[in-house]
Amino acid sequence: MTSLTPYLGEFAAGARLTALACALALVGSLALGVVVALMRTSTMPLARRVADIYVDIFRNVPFIVQLFFLFYGLPEIGPELSPFNTGVLALALAGGAFTSDVIRSGILALEPGVLEAAQVSGLSRITIYRRIVLPIALRTSIRPLGSVFVNLILTSSILSAITINELTGVAKIVASDTFQPFEVYGLLLVAYFAMTTLVSLGAGVLHRRLNRHLHGGAA
Amino acid sequence: MRYSGFTYNDLLVLLQGLGVSVALFAATTVIGLALGLAWATLRYYRTPVLAPLAAALAELLKNSPVLVQLFLVFFGLPVLLGTDLTPVEAALITLSGNTAAFVYVIAVSAIESVGRDQIETARVFGLTRWQTLRRVVAPQAAAFGFGPLTGLLINQLQVTSLISVIGVTDLTKVGAILNVRTLEPFIVWAVIGVLYYLMARLIARVCARAELRLRAHSQWKGF
Amino acid sequence: MIQIDGVAKRFGSNTVLNGIDLRIAPGEVVSILGASGSGKSTLIRCLNGLEQLDAGSISVDGHRIDEPKGLQAARRSCGTVFQLFNLYPHMTALQNVTLAPIEVLKVPRPQAEQEARALLASVGLGARADAYPAQLSGGQRQRVGICRALAMKPRYLLLDEVTSALDPEMTAEVLDILAKLAATGTTMLFVTHEIEFARQISSRIVFLEQGRLLADMPTAQFFAQDGALAQPRIAQFLSKMSK
Repeated sequence: MTSLTPYLGEFAAGARLTALACALALVGSLALGVVVALMRTSTMPLARRVADIYVDIFRNVPFIVQLFFLFYGLPEIGPELSPFNTGVLALALAGGAFTSDVIRSGILALEPGVLEAAQVSGLSRITIYRRIVLPIALRTSIRPLGSVFVNLILTSSILSAITINELTGVAKIVASDTFQPFEVYGLLLVAYFAMTTLVSLGAGVLHRRLNRHLHGGAA
Repeated sequence: MRYSGFTYNDLLVLLQGLGVSVALFAATTVIGLALGLAWATLRYYRTPVLAPLAAALAELLKNSPVLVQLFLVFFGLPVLLGTDLTPVEAALITLSGNTAAFVYVIAVSAIESVGRDQIETARVFGLTRWQTLRRVVAPQAAAFGFGPLTGLLINQLQVTSLISVIGVTDLTKVGAILNVRTLEPFIVWAVIGVLYYLMARLIARVCARAELRLRAHSQWKGF
Repeated sequence: MIQIDGVAKRFGSNTVLNGIDLRIAPGEVVSILGASGSGKSTLIRCLNGLEQLDAGSISVDGHRIDEPKGLQAARRSCGTVFQLFNLYPHMTALQNVTLAPIEVLKVPRPQAEQEARALLASVGLGARADAYPAQLSGGQRQRVGICRALAMKPRYLLLDEVTSALDPEMTAEVLDILAKLAATGTTMLFVTHEIEFARQISSRIVFLEQGRLLADMPTAQFFAQDGALAQPRIAQFLSKMSK
């Protein structure tokens, strides 16, 4: 085990890359997820159709296939993205599909009466979405969004397949260098487990904080 | 390597890859279901040491990347055990275990959804734990668990694509081969994607039909 | 003037409103009575545009609500208080009251908050302005709902069974406030089960039965022996309600 300590620096670099990729992908997923969720709950049939197709595709095709499609296919039609950027894009696109599911559920769970009260006070649609629908939907979605983030972190390990040296990529190199695959991958497993547990716990804390006013004893 | 266009041989290779993916998916699903249900039964019986251990193991498998699990089994186990492992064997072991962990969690949750009073009533009537499980809990739990199970199966189908990384010639690996040879990534990966998509839809449809059958059996038919 | 002409509303095969003609002039306090399912709440919901009409028209101060601009203007003139309060759960009482004035009327925040605090104080919730709905009792929530409607300075106040979800004690609190409001000359349209309350504060009673207007007359006349009570259906209803 101690023979792995010289590699600590590289592992740290890999972990940083994983964290960066996941953080960026999370932001992308959230933005995309909100837009798609709004499209899926909109009254325009075209918007709903397009959004439904997007979610359908990204939920039923393996991530690695999506990744290869972007990595090998994108350069053909134009943008030459670095492997890292391609990876983040792929993660964000896939994450967006799952995030939209969560946010859509949050929007649909809104009490219709609250929406009606907002409508009859003359608030514009945009204001209603901005001040009422989304703030409530997001608050109730924190835990499931945490699950999506966990999923992102686990999926990010697949980025090692397109030469990105995030955590798993680094581990592959170290494992073959040290001829200790069992220890290395075993530790890696535990490391991911620790990361995802932290995220889940964090989501729980955030959920409680943001929702503390929504449930309480009556005066 | 010569770069060539698509040939009819490619279709065969594609089908072969598809076959490998399907076979592995089917096998690991069956084994995973059996293992996972056995796991959950352990928990139902509250066996002192095994149950919490099983729960911990399930958590670990659920919350770590499948790719890393594959590497651990394929690269790590041989070094530990001294035996060699073929990619297919490693894939079988890893995916079965992974599926089992998720089945375990779904089963446990489904069993918990069956009201406490159901179990108590059964015990009061003198049914043994096994009889209670079999006659009272399991049928109702199955109804609860069906939805999550369908989602799990579709997910595990996509997970099989990762076995290409450790060298199994599944559908994804065929895609990689064709991609390199024909240099038509768009077409190749689109086709691969469509095939996976169609398989996923097929599974969804089969499960929906099975669920209807299941419900039909347990419907109250009246006097 | 609220003008309701020949309004009809169907839900599937169920005709809930069957040709309603009604006028509400400024300053009137009108109570709509009737059995459950008679269409009372639906009428209010048609008024503030929450339901589409199948026939007829409604206009508020000349603005027809079947036109988008008209509906907007109508909604500005009408404040609604709901049976289930419908407060924004993620906002404090104060924020609930100030949201529409700030966003729709463009009132500057400090002024909106000042007016809101005054409103809340007038209903006895001065100290609870920064509480969240989950921390308030039913009666308190409804009082916030009333303030929220009043903050827009509406010409007409629509109240849809606003005490039906409250226990007797809280009902009394809220009715008290509504009686005071009526006395100030605010135009109010009540849908209510509280017959006694309606009798005491309304200037006019409207009785709805299976989507039709059975009676529409000043209060005193309604409760007179030869008034609406002469109609057997109404007499039956009133006797049931006062048991």
